[in-house]
Amino acid sequence: MNGQAVRLIRAELRLMRRDPLVLTFVFVFPVVTMLIIGGAFGTTPDQAFDFTNPSHWYVASYLTVVIGAIGLVMVPVHLASYRERGVLRRFAVAGFPRWSFAIAELVVGLVTTLVACALLLAIAAPVYGLPAMHDGWRVLLALAIGTVGFISLGVLLGSVLPSARSAQAVGLVLFFPSFLLGAGGPPPHVMGSAVRTIAGPLPLTLLTNAVREPWLGIGTATTSLIALAALTVVVTAVAARRAVL
Amino acid sequence: MSNTDVVTVRGLRKAYGNRVVVDGLDLDVPAGQIVGLIGANGAGKTTTVECVQGLRRPDAGTLRVLGYDPVTQAERLRPLVGSQLQDSALPDRLRVAEAVELFRTPHGRDGAELLAQFGLAARRRSAFASLSGGERQRLFLVLALLNQPRLVILDELTQGLDPAARRDVWAAVRRLHEDGTTVLLVTHEIDEAEALCGQVVVMRAGRVLDAGTPSDLVNRHSAVATIRFSLPDPPAGLLDLLRRLDGVLTVDRAGSRVAVRGDRRIIAHVGAALVRWDSVPADLSVHIPALEDALLDLLDEDTELACATELIGAAR
Repeated sequence: MNGQAVRLIRAELRLMRRDPLVLTFVFVFPVVTMLIIGGAFGTTPDQAFDFTNPSHWYVASYLTVVIGAIGLVMVPVHLASYRERGVLRRFAVAGFPRWSFAIAELVVGLVTTLVACALLLAIAAPVYGLPAMHDGWRVLLALAIGTVGFISLGVLLGSVLPSARSAQAVGLVLFFPSFLLGAGGPPPHVMGSAVRTIAGPLPLTLLTNAVREPWLGIGTATTSLIALAALTVVVTAVAARRAVL
Repeated sequence: MSNTDVVTVRGLRKAYGNRVVVDGLDLDVPAGQIVGLIGANGAGKTTTVECVQGLRRPDAGTLRVLGYDPVTQAERLRPLVGSQLQDSALPDRLRVAEAVELFRTPHGRDGAELLAQFGLAARRRSAFASLSGGERQRLFLVLALLNQPRLVILDELTQGLDPAARRDVWAAVRRLHEDGTTVLLVTHEIDEAEALCGQVVVMRAGRVLDAGTPSDLVNRHSAVATIRFSLPDPPAGLLDLLRRLDGVLTVDRAGSRVAVRGDRRIIAHVGAALVRWDSVPADLSVHIPALEDALLDLLDEDTELACATELIGAAR
């Protein structure tokens, strides 16, 4: 890889560690809410949770909260702030390759996802225990596709929204309903039919289904996985064009 | 166009929607010179340099920068150009030394040495957000020079700086010139152009009004010097003598105050005449037009011309 791109990735990783928004939304928020919600319904298998341990249901769900926070809040705010303040123009005139910033965002997003998910599981393990993974490859595939898809969605939002503040506002408006309806809120079986209809096609719901069902052995979520993959292809293709310097 | 020109622009045109920002602009930047692009806000200066940098695609015209087309050969050109952009920043939490590390290519200059040269050595570990305006501009200069560029483009370099910081930055630009670097300086500060530039290109409404050395522009557009002094009851003979001197255009008297206007030769002639007449005033002052006067006169001429053209057009 080009030396400038490597330096940009290194610098972006360093900056991500210093960003309080990232620390709060990507590392702290999912862990704290998982600890609270995961303990709220006890550990006895319940029909509302497809006869699985509710704590395990939420541990398997909350990895996608990390991915949602990165794609809907962290990346758009970061990118919009760079655009607003002329940082991207500075990279462009300094001769950084046109694709280098897009690659840097993808790598930083992947690394952040990996670290935040590892942290979440490390904290969940002694508290609720980790659920056995029934179909590990399918889970990893869903996580990989979902991570790329949500980072691309974040890049797309960050490249069309005019400022960091608007990106933060739009990101939060998208994140919280997605979080409550599709990942970290009540299980779909207790939702009313109208809410379930709204929640079903949300990208974060698709990702959560594609991770949780094969993990807990309650299904394969093939339809969700295919829909997520199709969404990822489209969003990544558009985002890649928008993110060149 | 000469083969020593670093930048050659011919017939550049750029519009945003229906608004034409640059309209048939020609520009030459000779090697080793500081060329100032000067004009009021909205004159089209920044759009012009953005086209030169390859950040914007011109609607018409040809551009060559160091022999490259900035649009189609941007990736080959950009490593040869150091740019300081108007309204740009670095990430807030990026430290000074990290910025140098990020922007420095393997063949670049020693970053620590440049930081020391620009008075930033003690700020190596400071975050960009904590730097003062002057320190930021000096850091941008360091980054612009880091990879030994053949052309440096500085856009509104001293905007918002206090006088001391401005002088620091000016000194840094002069050092660039001494090192033989070609500089294209965009500014709306006339004193900055006068202090730094060997050539000045005056822009208005996307066109070049005139170009030349600062003294050429002064001579062309505002060559009239004014000498003022007081004498109790100025003798008519002295005033007649002053009117006959070479280069004198007018001599006006208001009470004890006398004002003599003419080209710059009158400064010596009037002084000599007063000494010969044995009337040496204690309050003699000389106003020599500066670039600012010349540019204001030039803009007035252009406004009058535009009004006249409009009137002729309306009459037809």
